[in-house]
Amino acid sequence: MDPRLFRITPSGGWGLALAALAFVFLPMVSTSYWLSVFTSAACFTLALAGVAFMYARLGMVSLTQVGLMGVGGWVALRLNHAYDFPFEVNLILAATVTMICGWLLALPALRMRGLYLALVTLMAAGGLEIVFATFQFPNGGEGFWGVQTGSGEAFRRPWLAQSPENYLRYVIVCAVLGFLLIELHRRLQPGRAWALIRRSEAAAIAAGVNVTLYKTWAFGISGLLGGAAGALLAGSLGLLDDGTFRASESVMLFALAVVGGARHWLGVVIAAALYKVLPALLNLWGVDADLAFVIFGAGLLHAVITAPDGIAGQILGALRKKGGRNAAG
Amino acid sequence: MLRVEGITVRFGGVVALNEVSASFTAPVSGIIGPNGAGKTTLMNVMSGFLTPVSGQITMEGQDLLRLPPHRRAHWGLRRSFQREEIADDLSVFDNVLVQTDHSRTPSGEKRREVARMLDLVGLGAMAERMGADLNTFERRLTDVAKCLVGQPKVILFDEPAGGLSVEETHRLGALIKAIPGESGAKVLVIDHDVDLIREICAETLVLDFGRRIAFGPTDAVLADPRVKAAYLGTEEVGA
Repeated sequence: MDPRLFRITPSGGWGLALAALAFVFLPMVSTSYWLSVFTSAACFTLALAGVAFMYARLGMVSLTQVGLMGVGGWVALRLNHAYDFPFEVNLILAATVTMICGWLLALPALRMRGLYLALVTLMAAGGLEIVFATFQFPNGGEGFWGVQTGSGEAFRRPWLAQSPENYLRYVIVCAVLGFLLIELHRRLQPGRAWALIRRSEAAAIAAGVNVTLYKTWAFGISGLLGGAAGALLAGSLGLLDDGTFRASESVMLFALAVVGGARHWLGVVIAAALYKVLPALLNLWGVDADLAFVIFGAGLLHAVITAPDGIAGQILGALRKKGGRNAAG
Repeated sequence: MLRVEGITVRFGGVVALNEVSASFTAPVSGIIGPNGAGKTTLMNVMSGFLTPVSGQITMEGQDLLRLPPHRRAHWGLRRSFQREEIADDLSVFDNVLVQTDHSRTPSGEKRREVARMLDLVGLGAMAERMGADLNTFERRLTDVAKCLVGQPKVILFDEPAGGLSVEETHRLGALIKAIPGESGAKVLVIDHDVDLIREICAETLVLDFGRRIAFGPTDAVLADPRVKAAYLGTEEVGA
């Protein structure tokens, strides 16, 4: 086995250290309001990791991720109310179903690139938005859709994470596992194939890479992460609302992945913080949370014009420069 | 023997290749011709990126045109492009290893072969360097190493010396010439550098406007008046 497979890079080490600190201290210092915000941010970190992975590794723009989160959330809720499975089983099944949805989404998208691919995924997100708005999310009712009027039944959280504090820790662990899954792929055969596909599909084919297989695989991983994020969000809130999974939110999620920096885990964390923590802060300060959209727009312009690797790229570049100066001094 | 028989390719009303046939028997063969002659089109047909209207390409009893493009690579066809296609965010080692990923050979054996081929092209010490940090010549050598791994049967080089200095071209020529001895693969080279073709190719096919105008031993082909006319024009040759 390749010894480099389990090597911890300095960047990975910092990521794991940050996750460990968040795991231990974040639940300890957070009020119930912030526990809810951070749990939601951690769920969206997992979904963002999928979007950023598709964009950074294959150059593919997926604008369906929040819709796929909705699929994961729907399946988790439906299973929770229909059967007595443990949360983990619901989580795995929800992620698997969403992965299959990702594969299905890949089929029409495989022959398209760039703007056309983005449009196809956006149309899928629009379709999912209509389905969620029409049929709503299960809350313990009868029939296939499982919806009833009035308050629904309670959602069972993981045995290990009954309290909000422990649930935040649980979601942080899941997000770290998501990042590790992507990194494992990056270091193995799929990662090499994706790098070559992004460089040139013709070169990848000439190297014997089955481009269709590996593109579908990437859609599947992105769907799996989105589905897991949706199931975790369902676990956090107990029930889901169709307004959370609008197509416009998928566009926002992708834009923030670009602003944060899709090529680095730090960019994904920054994007999740911008998406969930910044509006919560503005709310707390009594400022209209819609101001966040203005900030996102400015951030996107900044990324497009001057920072192709996003805020994370700029931070890491500045740190490298500082490190270089210190070494020279 | 690599046999190309009656290959015709049309782009709408334009006939890019017109009943081109040649049986390549030499270890290293060349394909030359003026711009737009159909050289790269022929390589694209061999690689599977273009489907001909008619014709056959066979080697060792395998009809290459029946295989999808990535299966041709599994069979043993290798291809380098005019622009060296090296992934910037993969190391030199991984850029070469990707060519063997489809094979069922044990991982350790594959890694040893990659290391051996990197040594052969002179990049052994650079195996961990990232693609983004390579110069044009190093990228081209990585491309050559990629073509050498996984027991290749036919290697197609499309203008491998483009953008290289005279010295680098000379080194690359020597390397390409050594490939059949090292790997047993047959090599086809497209290039505009006639000196390079003369130096490394025992036989050469000349195309012009999609037609074969000469094929045979390189010195004889390069001395052919029709070939000189294709490159220089009839007035200059007449003068």
